[in-house]
Amino acid sequence: MMGTVSERVVFWYGCNAIRHGDIIHSAIALLRAVGIESDPAGGPAYCCGTAKDGNLAAAAGMAARTVEKFNTSGRDKVVTWCPSCHRHMGTFMGGTNTINFEVSHITEMLHARRHLLAPLLTHPLNRKVVLHTHSGFHEVNSNPLVADLLRLIPGLELVVADYSAPGHMCSALAPIPAALKDVVRKSVELCAENGSDTLVTTFHACQRNLCGLATTDGIKVVNYVILLTAAMGMAPPVDEYAQWKNAGADAAITESIGPERIAKIGADFFAKQVLPELRKPTEK
Amino acid sequence: MRMDAKTDELFAYIERNIARTLVDCTSCGKCFDICPMTAYSDKLAGKTGGEVVAGILGILRGTAGTPEAVEWTRLCTQSARCIPACPENVNPMLMLRLSRITALGSTGGEALLPDGKRDPHFFRRINAFSALQLSDAEIAAWQR
Repeated sequence: MMGTVSERVVFWYGCNAIRHGDIIHSAIALLRAVGIESDPAGGPAYCCGTAKDGNLAAAAGMAARTVEKFNTSGRDKVVTWCPSCHRHMGTFMGGTNTINFEVSHITEMLHARRHLLAPLLTHPLNRKVVLHTHSGFHEVNSNPLVADLLRLIPGLELVVADYSAPGHMCSALAPIPAALKDVVRKSVELCAENGSDTLVTTFHACQRNLCGLATTDGIKVVNYVILLTAAMGMAPPVDEYAQWKNAGADAAITESIGPERIAKIGADFFAKQVLPELRKPTEK
Repeated sequence: MRMDAKTDELFAYIERNIARTLVDCTSCGKCFDICPMTAYSDKLAGKTGGEVVAGILGILRGTAGTPEAVEWTRLCTQSARCIPACPENVNPMLMLRLSRITALGSTGGEALLPDGKRDPHFFRRINAFSALQLSDAEIAAWQR
């Protein structure tokens, strides 16, 4: 399953992707499969600072710290996951710091090595899926790259509709609830129109915002890296975030996570800050 | 307000890009016309692209702009559809980001927009999900 290592990179998965450990682990496995060994880096200690438009001192400090870590990482390439981080690196971070590394997005890396990936995709996935796309990641034309990757999967019938949601990912729409609801509604309609019960996301924030459709509309929402690793024959990792989101009542969510893990973050913090997010329904 | 060299560099970067935008933008309004978000506000109904963009340039100049310009700034979700629409090669999406930074009061002017991203639990929640999703060894190796 593992390709010959030809490159070693930093895999910068960002902050909010951490809600989806299954996505991060699968992305690392995919990079490894095409010969790229990665040093994963993410979480608040590697924040790009893009959320700090209201506090430029914090934004500047975060950007400088993260760039310095990458400059001294011993790697000459940083592979991004998050389109916000990628954009911020290409503008504000790169415009104010000396950068001693190349930056590529993971969709570009996987697409450029799809000849290595294709022979590994030996397990058919006989299902029809709709690709969920956004228009906003103009730095990387990731929509056709992901579509090409998904078309490598035997048995998979891919629908790429003539519709892209605004924003670069669903989290960008969260401050405008009516817009996010429209995108959710349109996504459900696209699945219905095309006779599909599966929506494929490219980014973590769409996975987070849409995975509740399993409960509300019977639509399975899955990230493209999960489908690719499944087609490689890897045991599909559990999308725990979706599992928790669709667990229903508080007691079921709590039981699914388990007391040991809840204790690690503190029961009070869990109740006040984590549970409300998981309880929030996917609205349309 | 300016605290250290890195913050100064960020201010300078913002000022350079604002200056370039003010030179290049002709307020033709094509970016506003193509924006998919304008339909989500009654405040923008019936407004022309030219007048709203002129308000954006006002925000960037530090002269407060117009309520409609502040509203369009608030609505921007970075759809990027404005970028190919601009005949002058301005990046209107970046222009709106600079407008947002300015409208938040971050460059020293009056705050025209509330900072909806000022969430004191934002990073702690991310760390909490890390603890729920990653092993201790992964957190130690990947997030320090």
